Amino acid sequence: MSRKLGALVLAMGILVGAMGIKTVLSAKVAGSTMMANGPAPVPEPRYPTKQKTAQPN
Amino acid sequence: MPGPTGLIIWFLGTAFELLFVVCSLARNSFLRYFFLNLYLLLSTTVSIGRFFILWNYGVRSDEYMYFYYYSDALLTLALFVALISLYSHVLGELRAGEYLKWGAVFLLLGTAGFSYAVVAQSADRLSTNFAYELSQNLYFVGLVLTYILWGAVLKLHETRTRVVQIILSLGLYFSAYAASYALMNFSEKYSLIRYLSPALGCFLPLSWSLTILRYSEESRLAPARLVAVPR
Repeated sequence: MSRKLGALVLAMGILVGAMGIKTVLSAKVAGSTMMANGPAPVPEPRYPTKQKTAQPN
Repeated sequence: MPGPTGLIIWFLGTAFELLFVVCSLARNSFLRYFFLNLYLLLSTTVSIGRFFILWNYGVRSDEYMYFYYYSDALLTLALFVALISLYSHVLGELRAGEYLKWGAVFLLLGTAGFSYAVVAQSADRLSTNFAYELSQNLYFVGLVLTYILWGAVLKLHETRTRVVQIILSLGLYFSAYAASYALMNFSEKYSLIRYLSPALGCFLPLSWSLTILRYSEESRLAPARLVAVPR
């Protein structure tokens, strides 16, 4: 049980750190997306800004 | 469609991803680095899929946008699993398998929960927004995890050249992406900067391929220790 608790605390610490970095970075460069998988062209982001698009869901 | 330079970078990146899998098979390391191979195989497949959708519908189409963001979430998940597999390589001798397993599960669930909490307020396109948010958040979690892993490599005096170089490449890749992200926001008008981010997509599979090609599993390397300077 203590192992699981230790892992949980560590995981939450990492998550808080990661979200902290994200918050700091996105506060400086609002509206941009960071897509890090492959060299394909990134489509124009429509999130979080709402534009007129087809509704897939 | 992207211009000729963009297309060349894209094709090169896909070729390098496939090259890593071929090198792993040729050097009998496919199963040892199974999750890295899985990530790059998935990335190759996604890259081909993206090309066909881009070819048929165009970069501004909804089809391309949805395929791009959903596949990106899938790839980021695969990269997360690959990163956890590198942890098990480094921490294997500490018998920390159970910690690692639960830590990875908690981290993934926590990131998914946080992403859901962020997008829950927007009623429309919830799953698309969730895929996008999860991908972005997992990227930052991966960034932090890579730095912690590099710290573990230094602390535990990991000497396996392949493991050290694979982790170092991953750290450089994440760091360079973050730097190019900042750079692009400052000076997007310069075309050279615009190609920097896709070019970085070629760096990771190429550096991993070179590592697998140049070094055997028995190769050893001592990473420089952190030096304490007396004040």
